[in-house]
Amino acid sequence: MSQPPLLALEGVTKRFGGLTAVSNVSFTVPAGDLLGIIGPNGAGKTTLFNVISGYYRADGGRVVFAGQDVVGQAPHVICRLGLTRTFQLVKPFGHLSVVDNVMIGALTRLPTLRAARVEAERVIEICGLGSHASAHARTLPIGLRKRLEVARALATRPRLLLLDEVMAGLNPTELAAMIELIQRLHVDGLTVIVIEHIMAAMMRLARRIVVLHHGERIAEGPPAAITQDRRVVDAYLGEEFVLAQA
Amino acid sequence: MIARLRSRPGAVALFGLAALTPLFVRDAYFLDSLVLILLWGALSAAWNVAGGYAGQVSIGHASFFGLGAYAAALMVTRFGRGPWLGMLVGVVLSLGAGFIIGFLSNRLRGPYFALSTIAFSQVLLIGVSRWRGFTAGGEGIPVPFRPGFTTLGLGHIAWVYMALAAALLCYAVEVYLERSRLGYRLAGVREDEDAAEALGIPTRRLKVLAIALSAALTSICGSLWAQYVGFVDPTYVFSVDLSVKFALNTIIGGMGTALGPYLGSILITSLETYLRATFSGVKTGFAGIYLIIYGTVLILVVRFVPDGLAGFASRLRARRAHA
Amino acid sequence: MDPARRLGPAQIDVLAQLAVATVLLGGIYALIAVGLTLIFGIMRVVNFAHGEFLMLGMYLAFWAFALYAVDPYVVVLISIPVFFVVGLVTYVLVMRGVIQASHNVQIFTTVGLSVVLQNVALVAWAGDFRFVRPWHLSTVIRAGSTTFNLSQVVAFLIAVGLTVALVAFMKWTHAGRVMRATAQDRDAATLMGIDTDRVYRLTFAIGIAAVGAAGVLVAPLYAIYPTAGLQFVLLAYVVVVLGGLGDMFGAMLGSFIVAAVEVAGSYLFGTAWKEIFYFILFILVLVFRPAGLFGQRGAETLGV
Repeated sequence: MSQPPLLALEGVTKRFGGLTAVSNVSFTVPAGDLLGIIGPNGAGKTTLFNVISGYYRADGGRVVFAGQDVVGQAPHVICRLGLTRTFQLVKPFGHLSVVDNVMIGALTRLPTLRAARVEAERVIEICGLGSHASAHARTLPIGLRKRLEVARALATRPRLLLLDEVMAGLNPTELAAMIELIQRLHVDGLTVIVIEHIMAAMMRLARRIVVLHHGERIAEGPPAAITQDRRVVDAYLGEEFVLAQA
Repeated sequence: MIARLRSRPGAVALFGLAALTPLFVRDAYFLDSLVLILLWGALSAAWNVAGGYAGQVSIGHASFFGLGAYAAALMVTRFGRGPWLGMLVGVVLSLGAGFIIGFLSNRLRGPYFALSTIAFSQVLLIGVSRWRGFTAGGEGIPVPFRPGFTTLGLGHIAWVYMALAAALLCYAVEVYLERSRLGYRLAGVREDEDAAEALGIPTRRLKVLAIALSAALTSICGSLWAQYVGFVDPTYVFSVDLSVKFALNTIIGGMGTALGPYLGSILITSLETYLRATFSGVKTGFAGIYLIIYGTVLILVVRFVPDGLAGFASRLRARRAHA
Repeated sequence: MDPARRLGPAQIDVLAQLAVATVLLGGIYALIAVGLTLIFGIMRVVNFAHGEFLMLGMYLAFWAFALYAVDPYVVVLISIPVFFVVGLVTYVLVMRGVIQASHNVQIFTTVGLSVVLQNVALVAWAGDFRFVRPWHLSTVIRAGSTTFNLSQVVAFLIAVGLTVALVAFMKWTHAGRVMRATAQDRDAATLMGIDTDRVYRLTFAIGIAAVGAAGVLVAPLYAIYPTAGLQFVLLAYVVVVLGGLGDMFGAMLGSFIVAAVEVAGSYLFGTAWKEIFYFILFILVLVFRPAGLFGQRGAETLGV
């Protein structure tokens, strides 16, 4: 018997005044999946994340996470239910150390500082931030900040992790490390949704991709099929270089 | 416990010194300065809970101070009950006011929140000033001195320990915020609210909680102050200048550090005491002059020494460690 | 002379009187608000000390009148260059370092400035209420069944004139265009070769000149004391928020709305409680209409 999906979007719509940023988007994410979301600039990807994670309230449709419709719930409630997101423009707690940053994530599930510190150190090792543990977050370069963003989210022990363009701004070495990290997390059982603009990375990560364009879902399927899809190619008109990497 | 004390040598030194002073010094003037240093320090620490630890900068904390002062004074003069009961009432009122301000903090950010706190304190100032029937209006309320603990009619030495108790209370709250789950999450709210929300932190609730806690502590100190000074005047206890002073002490000493407010208070209160002695003849001139100095110091410190004395000290320590 | 003192029973007459009072008052608020919305819109700094410059304008009018018997409406001509220079000096000494800084630095710097200015006035001139009573303050004009005094009318006309001049400057001069561009996108302006420091300097100086002149104009109408600026600054921010940050026409419209509320409030509840209105109005507007009348987004978090 198949389990209900961990996340199900049903006709999700979000409007800002006269602009419809997300229009009737539906897809499901079974537990254990690694879903990619792509689309040209302005397609509504981050807006969709904001709707799913509770920063925006959907104007129409349902967002069903672990069997519960979470439309209208505050972001922190959704996080406690097991859905954690990262931000495209990273938001480190600048004046705090890396350890403190991750500890704050860990405190979502853990009642004491001591337990949070142990968990934070564990997550920091997993994410390869061990040698920077006591550095202040604002002193970190962008590559490490992105990793911190992931580590902090990870410390909340999510069931579903939303990663918003964590590859942007990384050099090839960092990129490879990040891909390997996400793959490892996925193999260990974490369900992940990844928004990415860097096609090469997306191809290696995602088993399934949803394509957004002008707020609508225009295609869904395995990576190889997506990049050949006529509608997808048309959508990236003017940004063909993006697809060319695939 | 000893380990904890050892990790905070500055606090041990400062509060220990304050506790020991009355044993050696009997000069009333000196003890009076000490009481004021401790009380202003406590008030600034209370402000720091909201401003430094939660990142909610208010320039209207005099609202809570005034409520506490008036509650204590009115309870004694109007209802013939004791000031401790007044303190309790003051705390309840200030919690209410704190929830309102907390609500504002969830609608407004940064400078606009600060402006709204000023507006709130001015509404209280004008309201209390005009409510002649109940609060004696702009004339203020003289608080009678009746010897005894329950009436807070204490001698100078007892007041030092009373003020020290208040200072330690506020200090303990600050320390708690530095080493507790609540405090860590509050730090997240302070650093980046959106990020904190994404990590499961109920930011709105925590902000209101921090402000309400800050309000209650401020109110308690306000009640004590009313009994100590013996006169409650609305144009002073609700004034913006007073609110600025709480912030000023903390900024000079180090915003978001536990000892900072007390360090700032030592500096500023000593300065004020010195100026008052020097300019004792010219009443208005004195009040204006020390405020001009405060304003200038505020501008300079916030620009050139933003971490305050505590930050400066820790940078020195770091440099010495590397040398 | 209170613009909204109680009158006879005729309702329409009352309304007409209140309307006139609103217009006259609104014109002056517009002058304050337009300068403030410029500063806020272009520099993105909330200036807590804005009201203190108005207070200084009031004192300028007072001393000119008390010492040299110069009428405020003559003084206003001098006040513009004087406060322009004051604005420049303040910018260079205090504001320049604050523009790119964090909210807290902005708050504390301008609050510090406010405290300094208030107390310089206190030390120099004492806290007693002062009054400027030129001859035209008691000259009453009648139009139909409404009465108002000459002071209000002249203040209104001068304020409107200055506001119009300011709007024209912003719309039709090169400098004005440059300022508007900087308001829209600071970074793009820099990339276009605009010296943003000069723009801010000019903006701040103009804003201070406007509020200083407004201070001179209102001097006959209000009591003058060192903390007189506080009520005005909150009102001004109400206007700016109502009208939309950086929007000059919005500021003008907001001014008349705020004036209407003040006039109606004074009429209904008496002037003793008038001051409370400013503050309550401020809180109410920010809580219920943070996006302004025209629904400007982002105003509620007021992303400065």
